[in-house]
Amino acid sequence: MDKKKEKGGLNHYKLRQILITVLPFVALIILFGLFCITVTAKDYRLDKYLNIVFNEGVVLAVVATGSIFIYTLGSFDISLGAATLFSATMGVMVYNATQSFVLMLLVIIAVGVGCSLLNSLLASAFHIPAFVTTVAMMSVLSAVSAQIITTNGGAVGGISIPSAIVKPLDNPVFKIVLLVAFFAVCFFIFNLTKTGRRQKFLGGNVICATLTGVKYNKYAIIAFTMAGLGVGLGAFLTLVYTPSVTATTASSIGMNIFVAIVFGGMPISGGARSKIYAALVGGFSYILLNNILKILIDTNSGYGITQVISAVFFLIVVFVTSMNYRTKMLPR
Amino acid sequence: MNKSILTLKNINKRFGSTIALNDVSLEVFPGEIRGLIGENGSGKSTISSIAAGMQKADSGEMLFNGESWNPTSMIDALQHGIGMIVQESGTIPGITVAENIFLAETEQFKNKLGLLNRRAMNKKADEVLSDIGITNVHGSDMMAALNFQSRKLVEIAKVVMKKPQILVIDETSTALSHDGREIMYKLIKQFRDDGKAVLFISHDLDEIMEVCDTLTVLRDGKLIRSFTKEEFEPDAIRTSMIGRELQGDYYRSDFTPSWEDEISIKAEHITVNGHIKDVSIELHKGEILGIGGLSHCGMHSLGKVMFGALKPDEGSVTLNDGTEINSPHRAMKHSVGYVSKDRDVESLNLSASIRDNIAIAGFEQYAVGNFLILNSKEKPYVQEQIDALSIKCSDMNQQVSALSGGNKQKVVFGKWIGRQSEILILDCPTRGVDIGVKQAMYQLMMKLKKEGKSILMISEEMPELMGMSDRIIIMKDGVIMKEFERSAELSDAEIIKYMI
Repeated sequence: MDKKKEKGGLNHYKLRQILITVLPFVALIILFGLFCITVTAKDYRLDKYLNIVFNEGVVLAVVATGSIFIYTLGSFDISLGAATLFSATMGVMVYNATQSFVLMLLVIIAVGVGCSLLNSLLASAFHIPAFVTTVAMMSVLSAVSAQIITTNGGAVGGISIPSAIVKPLDNPVFKIVLLVAFFAVCFFIFNLTKTGRRQKFLGGNVICATLTGVKYNKYAIIAFTMAGLGVGLGAFLTLVYTPSVTATTASSIGMNIFVAIVFGGMPISGGARSKIYAALVGGFSYILLNNILKILIDTNSGYGITQVISAVFFLIVVFVTSMNYRTKMLPR
Repeated sequence: MNKSILTLKNINKRFGSTIALNDVSLEVFPGEIRGLIGENGSGKSTISSIAAGMQKADSGEMLFNGESWNPTSMIDALQHGIGMIVQESGTIPGITVAENIFLAETEQFKNKLGLLNRRAMNKKADEVLSDIGITNVHGSDMMAALNFQSRKLVEIAKVVMKKPQILVIDETSTALSHDGREIMYKLIKQFRDDGKAVLFISHDLDEIMEVCDTLTVLRDGKLIRSFTKEEFEPDAIRTSMIGRELQGDYYRSDFTPSWEDEISIKAEHITVNGHIKDVSIELHKGEILGIGGLSHCGMHSLGKVMFGALKPDEGSVTLNDGTEINSPHRAMKHSVGYVSKDRDVESLNLSASIRDNIAIAGFEQYAVGNFLILNSKEKPYVQEQIDALSIKCSDMNQQVSALSGGNKQKVVFGKWIGRQSEILILDCPTRGVDIGVKQAMYQLMMKLKKEGKSILMISEEMPELMGMSDRIIIMKDGVIMKEFERSAELSDAEIIKYMI
């Protein structure tokens, strides 16, 4: 009888584990199905809407993939959107000044990495949590970008580069290759190197990790560097899709990433259960959900309702994904 | 006999695939101090935590004072008569001692304007602490500033203040040094004299035989046998606990101190403000150097200094080649390992798996090109430690938080043994582990000594210090009071007089 019980218990436990792992993928598939149904039911062009979802999703997924390293440490970066805007702004300014595509690309990446690194260096120098510096950085970068854009192009129209420069790259193949390449590099570092494993350990217990010889500052700098790379690539992809930059470009990306990676199955506290694929799965799930809601709630108050529904989804996902480690622990 | 205060009937509980309790029935009577003993994972913490409202049983019935007992939480249980002091820290570090004691009960200290009268709350907390004999901790102290023992004493005060009818003490004495234990024993006696009851969980057989009136042995989630005071006999209890007789020596069998001439690591003129004053020690190759004293004596801080985790205000720690140890990273690079007393906070990442916890310290042993981690290399490495230390687990991916105390401690050992540490700093290495695991750890320490490794063993357990050390250094108020060499004639009375 005991054996029978044990077998049943084991299955229940394993099923629970599998369910929590598989759920984000199932949600992505369901959302994709719902999106197709919604677009078709409204008699909209599915190919056009899929293109929108793809382009928005690629940018979010790239930036989110880099940011996973920060979230794994149990920290977060609210300035990712502002950093993306600033990188793109600087890229446009540099191209317009030099007419050099290569220089523009290098500046975009360098600015992305620089902004992100500055967060971790300031946090390290002043011994404050990194997310605090990201809050300040968000304000500074948004304000500086807005100033540059307004001065050089106007608040509404923004600044831009000739679309012909990036037009050849505005195709799914290039974007998929870029996303896959960046994801592969991050996946490799995250799962197959000492760096990624130590970052996950730090996120779970920074005291224990430090007493196991892991230097927090070193791995925080690496995490912010990876996030910076994602920001740079995200800014570049934004310019490829829309060769102009306004003060609102990528403005909500910081918060969207937070919600997206949780949708993708990333634990809110980081640590050992962090998953790099959460960025991809969550990024596209979030964009699909957003677009479904936008299509369905096509009113003036649509944006507000969309946000409310997204928030409710977010809370449900956090509850479900954290269920496994909030309960069922043996007494110590 | 009297009518029982607490009756547990056919209690069953499982965690995933693990059967923690299998049809356990137990009665606790007024004026009784009942010991619960068993190996790690035997179910003693589970049964007591169910009675104290920490978790619910899968099936079974509980009666408290003859009425159905189904507490919804530990607070609910405490308010209705059963209080529990948990094995690991049950306090919150970022607030004051008074706020911890009166957590969720601060309303009573609010004035007419709804403002909290902290002075009154701190004063009341001082009274609560003083009532059980704690005078060196105050209500206004920040919890995080207290050491492990003081935090535990605050927790005891917090529970006892509610005057429960049954006090459950889960493996608490190992967190306490001599003076702390005296406070706890006095409380236990007071409970008995008042006609209340105590459920006392401990791995220390001598202690449990001394303190308890009756003793219940659990093994693999089953109640094996109960002993009355007259039936207490160490070998019979041990055999009941582990289901077999202990083979081989418990402590080391020789009484001859031995070590090599070469010094592995030395601390010179270490001063840490308020903790250690001008302490110098040398640890040799092949030596087990014991450091003992009361909890506040500075020995735990000294362990951290030796590992580079605490920067001394003066003095230095160097290896035999002159390398200075000034950070855990550097210590590890030079083959120094450290097992902290505060296992769940400082030695383990509870949310990670056994594999993650063991592997994190051992990457250098198997990483390809010192950066690439391959499953094919890591899994055998981790499995080797699990097998060598007989860690009871479903598999290496099991979360560490789901292990029993002894198995958690084995994981910590595995982490350092696996990376071939030449110098081990062990702060209370057998805290909260059962005699079977203790014996295995002592045998492991002897094996390491024979291999020429150096062990600095900080311990609050006198038999352990005397049973294992080549030399014993006794500290008091941050200074070295006396050094003893291993000898058959050495008595604990002789050592204790330098501790107090």
